[in-house]
Amino acid sequence: MECPLKSGKAFELMMSYTAGTLEPEKQIELERHLPICEECRKAAAAQKAMWEALDVWRPAAISDDFGARLYQRIAEEEASPAWRMLFRMPWGSLFRPAVPVAAACGALMIAFIVKDPLIRHHSSSTVQQKISIEQVERALDDMDMLKQLSAPAPAEGQASERI
Amino acid sequence: MKLGRATMSAGDALSPQPSTSERVSEDMAAVASLERDAELMLRVRAGDEASFSALLDRHRAPVIHFLYRMVQNLAVSEELAQEVFLRVYRSRATYEPTAKFTTWLFRIATHLALNWIRDGKNEKSQESLDQGTAEGATRQVADRLRTVEQEMVYQARLAEVRQAIQLLPAKQRAAVLMHKYEEMDYAQIAGVLGCSESAVKSLLFRAYESLRSRLAHMS
Repeated sequence: MECPLKSGKAFELMMSYTAGTLEPEKQIELERHLPICEECRKAAAAQKAMWEALDVWRPAAISDDFGARLYQRIAEEEASPAWRMLFRMPWGSLFRPAVPVAAACGALMIAFIVKDPLIRHHSSSTVQQKISIEQVERALDDMDMLKQLSAPAPAEGQASERI
Repeated sequence: MKLGRATMSAGDALSPQPSTSERVSEDMAAVASLERDAELMLRVRAGDEASFSALLDRHRAPVIHFLYRMVQNLAVSEELAQEVFLRVYRSRATYEPTAKFTTWLFRIATHLALNWIRDGKNEKSQESLDQGTAEGATRQVADRLRTVEQEMVYQARLAEVRQAIQLLPAKQRAAVLMHKYEEMDYAQIAGVLGCSESAVKSLLFRAYESLRSRLAHMS
């Protein structure tokens, strides 16, 4: 038998061996190999020690009324109105597969909005429109001022007549 | 479910394996057991309440023990186990025997336990680890003849094992508990965890590596 440590199958082999689930042929081969290979012997002993340490944790006793409590819960559920079952449905797990698709759609939509040239053009033209209106108003005001300045001042007599 | 197959005493040789005929009869019993589960569940689907009771009797202990070792709190584990069986009961109408019943059952249990751990509820139970040990002590005492000293040594070892398992990442912990204590094979653990067999082997390799180093002094 090739040394399991060299073949890279040591872990699986030792674990199955210690757990007692190794196929009989492989078990015989390994048992022939162990006495001649110190490293494998150490690995098997370490695995066995860990396995036995875990055996210390024996199962705890179960409450006597476990079944009674469960049947009580079932009876309560069955007595409750049917619409309440809707709240107990595992909606989260039902919709979970759709979450990545929804996220991808959302990301695509954002990318579309950000990068769409029409939308960008539309938004930039709105700004340009605002700017041009302001500029036109300002230009008209300037022209009014210039007209007033350039108009000839009325004669003093005419002015007094008007008053 | 095969229980208590791999328990070995310290004095055993390195080869405690059963004979081929024993193994064949064990496998046949396991196959019969699987068929029985599916049959019972189909009867539950048809409205037979007694079959649900039979299923509960068969699987209550393994599910609670698994959950107890996952969350390390007996009250919480029983509460989660109630939820597991409640979900089984709720799903009776839509049950199809496409997968092993135990794989389905443990998938629900693992899902609930991982959610409970993920939600950080285990911090509270960690605080009560000592209390849990004492609680376990009163419940686990199988050998009433143990002396006080032996009992103290046992409790110290138990606390170390619990701590070592508690320190494992949740998924590794689930894989180890199913492999070691529920005696599931790689394929079944993969079915429960929803991953490949090679991923399970990798999880177990890392978990047992950590446990070996943490528990090395106990040998």
